[in-house]
Amino acid sequence: MQTPMRFLLAAIPIVALSLAVPFVNRVEPRILGLPFVLAWIALWVILTPAFIWGIGRVERRW
Amino acid sequence: MSAFGSLGILVAIVAGTIVFALVSLRRVAMSPQEYIVGGRGFGSVFLWVLLAGEIYTSFTFLGAAGWTYGFGAPAYYILAYGTVGYVLAYFLLPRIWEMGKSHGLLTAPDFFMARYGSKALSIFTAVIYAVAILPYVTLQLSGLQIFITLAGYGNVNSQLGAILAFIAIVLFVFVTGLRGTAWASIVKDALVIGALLFVGIAMPLHFFGSHATMFDQLLQAHPQMLSLAGPFAAKGTLWYVSTVLLTGIGFFMGPQSIAATFSAKDANVLRRNAMFLPLYQLIVLLVFFAGFTALLVAPGLTGSAIDQSFLAVVQHFYPPWVLGFICATGALCALIPSTALLLSAASIVSKNIFGDLFGVALDDRSRMILTRACVAVLGLGALVLWVALKTTLVTMLLLYYNGVTQFAPAFFLGFFWKRVTTAGVATGLIAGIAIALYLAAAGISPYGINAGFIALIVNVALTVSISLLTQKKELAV
Repeated sequence: MQTPMRFLLAAIPIVALSLAVPFVNRVEPRILGLPFVLAWIALWVILTPAFIWGIGRVERRW
Repeated sequence: MSAFGSLGILVAIVAGTIVFALVSLRRVAMSPQEYIVGGRGFGSVFLWVLLAGEIYTSFTFLGAAGWTYGFGAPAYYILAYGTVGYVLAYFLLPRIWEMGKSHGLLTAPDFFMARYGSKALSIFTAVIYAVAILPYVTLQLSGLQIFITLAGYGNVNSQLGAILAFIAIVLFVFVTGLRGTAWASIVKDALVIGALLFVGIAMPLHFFGSHATMFDQLLQAHPQMLSLAGPFAAKGTLWYVSTVLLTGIGFFMGPQSIAATFSAKDANVLRRNAMFLPLYQLIVLLVFFAGFTALLVAPGLTGSAIDQSFLAVVQHFYPPWVLGFICATGALCALIPSTALLLSAASIVSKNIFGDLFGVALDDRSRMILTRACVAVLGLGALVLWVALKTTLVTMLLLYYNGVTQFAPAFFLGFFWKRVTTAGVATGLIAGIAIALYLAAAGISPYGINAGFIALIVNVALTVSISLLTQKKELAV
């Protein structure tokens, strides 16, 4: 149970920032004035620490 | 007169930082262990500062803005790849650290000796590391040259700027070392945040009133630049995906990152840093804003001049002291990573090539002297490459990643796949480097895919298949 969970938590942000980007490669809708694709990348950069924190919790590092 | 003010501020801030680093350093006795990996005693905060110091460089500052200015959306990869790198770092760095601690490793090629037990492989990787790092040092040299030249308001030409940059870099490495670098980074980080708030927030507000208005105007003037081109186009979506994966996987593969990993006090320090460093990555967003502002306010720069983007705006519209302050910040962003880069490459040459291969300079004192001599020689190599390349900062960094990412299969498979063999790793590595070099030299990128990524795929395929084929032989031994 532990290993698939860790794998999933690591894979989600990596896929969101790489493979998913061609599918959100749009200017509209603009988010806070930013082109959508740029806002998407920035959002996932902000969310990534939460995923890494989750991996650490699953591994009982903190 | 302007040049006098801005160059004066630049020199004063850099000199002040060196003095601060030296004062903080004076109680630490210098040995190679201390000079190269900081005595393996860095806690979370100090390691954060060191990593932030060597990851966020004049590339982040000028290169990202330059590509935003010149190409638009392809620059977005710079915001994404480090974050991918941090997720992988959470898993990989603690394993590298544990091996470093238990085997007393100092350099990246030491890992190949410890994990694969092959002196030939370790020496081969030492040569590749020393060569692969040069474009990254050239990038910093080039960045420093741009800061000096612009702060000089036309009184310092680019050749003189580059020579001054070379001298400054070598002197900075001589006096600081890795621990000094971390102290200097504290000053740098404070200045970077100030400078980026100015160029990324205040400057767009000054010219456009709001960031949304800036993007409105960009959409009018450059409708194609805000999103990526189609999948197979040059710098299109396939290029983006392959580049983010290549550079994300290679993010901690440089010898300077391995040395920083060894400097951690314990493995959880590395995990915590992997968690928090993505937030630092957000400064790249401010750099994009600065590059886009420059595109609207000061259009017309082409070729490698795009790297000057927002500095040209600051030089033209703001007083010399503002330019001096920003150029000083940038200069530290070039000097500090150069120290980490040159130090790691020089310690590889002196330990793994001169020491392990030729058996010279084995005691601490002579190794310190040799390491410093190697710093000067490698710095000179970067200066020669600067004359030869004359390209954008991002192109130089991508060249570096084409090389260092080829080490990734040896590390990732070495830790997470028990069946990997020395023959497999050696074959994959040699093929990966050869393909990356060939494709880069020929300028080929099939279907828009990053050439280094194709080399990495071949590298992984060969490492795995040769490992499976050579399996029995090694088990018998």
